[in-house]
Amino acid sequence: MSTDTRADEGGSLLARPLDWLETQSEEVYAYVLLAPAFLLLAVVAFYPLIETFRFSLLADAVASADPFGEFVGFDNYVALLTGDTNFTQQFVSISTTDSFPFVGFDAPFLQQALFVTLAFAILSVLFETLIGFGQALVLDQDFYGRRWVRVSIIIPWAIPIVIQGMIFFLLFNPTIGFGTEFMQWLGVFGDNPLSSSTDSFLIVLVADIWKTTAFMALLILAGLQSIDRGLYDVAKVSGASPWQRFRYITLPLVAPALLVAMLFRTMDAMRIYGLIDSTAGCETVPSLTCLVIIALQESRRWATASAVAFLTAVVISAFVLVYLLALRNSDGGVA
Amino acid sequence: MSADRAADEPADAPDEVDPTVEMADQAGLDEPDLDRGIVEAWAAKMISNPDRAYRATFYVATIFFLVTTLFPFYWLFVIAVTPRNALSTTGVLTPGGTPRVDVDLPLIDAALSVPVGIGEINLASFAQIFTTLPFHRYIFNSFLIATVATVAVLLVGSLAGYVFGRLRFRGRNAMLLLVLVTSFFPPAAFFIPLNRLFNTNVDVLRPLISAGSLYNTPYAIFIPLSAIFLPLSIFILMTFYSQIPDGLEDAARVEGTTRIGALFRVIVPLSAPGVATAGVLTFISVYNEYFFSSLMTDGQPGNWAPMLEGILRFQGEFEVLYNLMAAASIVAVLPVAILVVVAQEKIVSGLTTGAVKE
Repeated sequence: MSTDTRADEGGSLLARPLDWLETQSEEVYAYVLLAPAFLLLAVVAFYPLIETFRFSLLADAVASADPFGEFVGFDNYVALLTGDTNFTQQFVSISTTDSFPFVGFDAPFLQQALFVTLAFAILSVLFETLIGFGQALVLDQDFYGRRWVRVSIIIPWAIPIVIQGMIFFLLFNPTIGFGTEFMQWLGVFGDNPLSSSTDSFLIVLVADIWKTTAFMALLILAGLQSIDRGLYDVAKVSGASPWQRFRYITLPLVAPALLVAMLFRTMDAMRIYGLIDSTAGCETVPSLTCLVIIALQESRRWATASAVAFLTAVVISAFVLVYLLALRNSDGGVA
Repeated sequence: MSADRAADEPADAPDEVDPTVEMADQAGLDEPDLDRGIVEAWAAKMISNPDRAYRATFYVATIFFLVTTLFPFYWLFVIAVTPRNALSTTGVLTPGGTPRVDVDLPLIDAALSVPVGIGEINLASFAQIFTTLPFHRYIFNSFLIATVATVAVLLVGSLAGYVFGRLRFRGRNAMLLLVLVTSFFPPAAFFIPLNRLFNTNVDVLRPLISAGSLYNTPYAIFIPLSAIFLPLSIFILMTFYSQIPDGLEDAARVEGTTRIGALFRVIVPLSAPGVATAGVLTFISVYNEYFFSSLMTDGQPGNWAPMLEGILRFQGEFEVLYNLMAAASIVAVLPVAILVVVAQEKIVSGLTTGAVKE
């Protein structure tokens, strides 16, 4: 019979635990099945997170075999936030001949990195929301070839980060790409955009908008399609213009989905690393994650790197809280 | 959702079409003799019939989105087929080396070089990427890591998704929240201890892994990535598993299968679309990941470095192999592009359930 128990086929090695499992309550069964997932998460997420925090409370020991020194409490954080931490001369000397990280050349790196990360997150999410809304409105229509338009809008989202980086690296490479020439003609870019902080920031921003707008579009589209079509018919009969239908029906009803999408994108944008690393390089556009890697690899300051990493997590949590509060207010039905 | 739309649409369509025709006729009757230019006539039509204006906006927007999303791929191809010595003359639409003629533009003081004829098309770069570097090995490494991670995530995620979707037990919400919270944290917050852990020599592993540490092995990439993309799969699978009627599971149990048997013989097969969705999304995410993929190996193909190291090699180690970088990018993007075309419904539904659940 096909519904033989697995215990019969699997031999005694598998049968014993399975038999034991049969006799347990549902609650024990639930915990047993959750064990592998939580084991994996514990090894890769919970334990490292706690360790990162513990490391961040230790002193840097740049020269010794063990990269961590004695316990120093929150000194690393204090040093980072007040700007006393000196990284090796990394990105002071190279870039910042222009005024982009408006905090000034000799400003502490953390401030530069914090500014770059926040500016990037806010600007990219803003543009992605606007353009994504446009794409979602297009995809919400019924037209011939809709499936293929959707495919081509999703494709940038699905490509590897390194290839996204490569496309924009080539596009703005002064010798082969036409991007630099075009932007210079507009009067925006300098001679070698990929080594100037301002220009590179714009390139990274555009690259990110190009790739991830599709994600926003899909989530907003899901929100759009959950709207009762009858509402539009009623509005049409009452003489509402398309703009009014958008303003008074679409926008309020899609707001919860929009906020969730923005929350996801903001979290993701705050982690920006790969795109920067494969186009302009971490020294030119220092994001928070870049700072972790620089502290780790260039100067072997593991404790400082841990502090920056934990600060990044704290900043992201702060954003998440803001969004969750906004969602609660908009009655998004979030538990 | 789409079924509803399809049902609604035919009812809507006649309403929209009829007024358009009437309006156009009226406009034609009211002002027959006015002598208008094309632009003015078009503008007048737009004003007398706003629906037409919205329709025009829709087409313009669609074309704009199509061009902006697809053009970079076309241009990558243009670079890839440009011979190496002609790279500096690559145009916006044509490969470098294309014969050009300067044409003076009338009103503005500028010249536009217009391509005439076809230059040399160099398809050899698609072969050179495999001879200059073992790029196929990089691709293979990426595929292996992504496949193993997908299998691991589906297995572990199925168990967890089943528990969260179908069982009631104490601490369910707290544990679900814990899973959710892990996806908030940046990978950088996990990286330092993991890097230390994977670099430690563990003597127990010596028989399995020559160096004795996990650095430079596929484990160092797929273990962290499996955990990082696990929460999304748990949510997707949870949603699908919770929709299977209890009766089917009970029937299987009455027939004599074990609890685990009921999960893998009844629930999982019935939720095949959900499993496929979670699988496709995990595969794409792992294949595309940058952070751990770039930091957990030393970049040697023999040390299981993934595809991204291969592409970056063309940028770093050799001088200016721009055309090879472009060709390698195209080759590496093909698998995911095909996956998107084949499984776009799954991707869309997966992304939206993952988000709506939270």
